[in-house]
Amino acid sequence: MTNSNQTTARKPGIPAEQKPVPLALTARISTLASNQSTILIGVMVLLIVVFSVLEPKFFSAPTASNILTDWGSVVLIAVGQTFVVISGGIDLSVGAIIGLSGVVSAWTMANVLKVDQTVSGADASGPLLIGTLVSVGVGLLVGLTNAFLINKLRIVPFIATLSTMGAALGLSVIISSGQPIGSANNFSLIAAMDPKTNPLSWALIVVIVVVTIAGLFLHKARFGLYTYAIGSNTFAARGAGINVERHLTLVYALSGALAGLAGMYVYLRLGAGSPSSGTGRELDAIAAVVIGGASLMGGIGRIWGTVLGALILFTVQSGLIMVGVAPDWKKVVVAILIAAAVAAQTLQSKNGRK
Amino acid sequence: MTGEVIYEVKNVSKRYGSVVALDGASLKLHAGEVLGLVGDNGAGKSTLVKVLSGAHQPNGGKIYLDGVERTWGSPREALEAGVETLYQDSGLAPHLTVSQNVFLGREKTVKGIFGKMGFLARKEMEHDAHEDLERVGIAVPASDRPVSQLSGGQRQAVAIGRAVAWARRVIILDEPTNHLGARQAGEVLQVVRAAKAKGLGVIFISHTLPHVLEVTDRVVVLRLGKIVMDAPTSEFDGDRLIGVLTGTIQTVRVEGD
Ligand SMILES: Nc1ncnc2c1ncn2[C@@H]1O[C@H](COP(=O)(O)OP(=O)(O)OP(=O)(O)O)[C@@H](O)[C@H]1O
Ligand SMILES: [Mg+2]
Repeated sequence: MTNSNQTTARKPGIPAEQKPVPLALTARISTLASNQSTILIGVMVLLIVVFSVLEPKFFSAPTASNILTDWGSVVLIAVGQTFVVISGGIDLSVGAIIGLSGVVSAWTMANVLKVDQTVSGADASGPLLIGTLVSVGVGLLVGLTNAFLINKLRIVPFIATLSTMGAALGLSVIISSGQPIGSANNFSLIAAMDPKTNPLSWALIVVIVVVTIAGLFLHKARFGLYTYAIGSNTFAARGAGINVERHLTLVYALSGALAGLAGMYVYLRLGAGSPSSGTGRELDAIAAVVIGGASLMGGIGRIWGTVLGALILFTVQSGLIMVGVAPDWKKVVVAILIAAAVAAQTLQSKNGRK
Repeated sequence: MTGEVIYEVKNVSKRYGSVVALDGASLKLHAGEVLGLVGDNGAGKSTLVKVLSGAHQPNGGKIYLDGVERTWGSPREALEAGVETLYQDSGLAPHLTVSQNVFLGREKTVKGIFGKMGFLARKEMEHDAHEDLERVGIAVPASDRPVSQLSGGQRQAVAIGRAVAWARRVIILDEPTNHLGARQAGEVLQVVRAAKAKGLGVIFISHTLPHVLEVTDRVVVLRLGKIVMDAPTSEFDGDRLIGVLTGTIQTVRVEGD
């Protein structure tokens, strides 16, 4: 540090707090048991065991592939939401961005790039790349709009992102006239990338890479540190010289851009850009984030938790369907999961903070 | 043994809505000087601190650092100019660890391209933060513990350690002995003397008048947002200071304007 050459004497009499000595085995097990991700993995394993016992077909590659495919469409926006929630905000617009970016991207590919069903193979990769950039760009624009409303107009994030959610939904219906655009079913490259036909499709690999990079930036880099600092204590963050408004702009832009990427993913899955393709997904994302242990008060949350939270969410959903529970019960079970996650969090922080 | 005027405010005012928290306050701080700022609850001390640190923009008045007029648009600008502040409340982020708080806003990154992307040298910062806090020597917590798990005194130690480690020109301490036991408070006074010896200007705010009388060179008394007295500490004793604070002793301004 800058002043480390100063000559102030050390105070010998003051005992510095010791680093914890290696714990006894029982203590180690109990720390492990109170560790968030251990609990989540435990829940995950339990769910797989229970559903497999109730319906042996559940324990199969196609089921796993289905769950992973669904997971891929929500984990991107859930990761964006993790940053937003840690910073102390919320982003309700991400579901609508999936619809809007998918529609705009599909429209561009169909009408500007003149992609039709005759285009295939390597010819498709260019348009696909441009389509992805358009999709991410649309998400980025909505994210920047959110940041503008929150930073410049001082609208609370809930209301700001609720308005852009409405606007994005409306726009995507206007652009598409309410109809899905551009069937890509014969679009061979897209078909090859369709996560349905191949469990680890290229699309899913891209998702996993993006999530990993986001996790590194959240937990290892300055970007994440500032996100936590702002959510933990905005006054302290500002007092430490952090440009809070600029950082929040980046956070909402990131959330929007990831939602745009998710829009492309969903487009590939459906083979078309549909205005309603992301409806309600923002709630799935928030559920995943909360199940993963983040606090809507800000300052707390982990990417790994969100990743597992989203996985648990879709394991429950597909498991319930496979064991023959009526689909409407799905919502009830998800609601119970969220309540349980929040309750567990409250209890834990009560124990943790004396 | 005090030097040049380093930090000065002239006639600053600050209103919160209809509350006038600061009403035309002026003061000068010299290099190597400890200035005590005292006043009743709500007198405007913390408001003055926030104006001096760039956390609040005053409604009127001027600020000079080293004789040059400055306006702080944000705390960052004041920090970069060497003015370090310990806020009375909420100066730390509770969810971050000790070392993350000490280094917040001035992180060390790893070398090379990853450093450019903002990847942090966590171990190095934990080590350095520990050394900084040991040097301050109050109640040193382990660097990797979240601040939310620390005692009030340990938190205060982290906040002080942070300010002391980074200050280059001016250090402003708003009730630094809060939450501290008698021995730890004594350590804080040592820290203040060390900062003074390094030639920093120190503003020391406290309700513990014996501490103020012990460590300061000059005392400024605020009452209802106005500076009602500014005099060398030697002119005060405990009773007289209390009298001025509460307004039972009428005063004339000796310095300022
Ligand atoms: N953010 C704020 N919004 C509105 N009023 C405020 C704000 N901060 C301070 N005030 C008011 O300004 C006045 C001065 O407050 P200030 O915190 O500067 O007092 P202080 O001298 O530091 O008091 P204490 O000794 O209790 O810390 C008080 O009347 C207070 O209520
Ligand atoms: Mg105060």
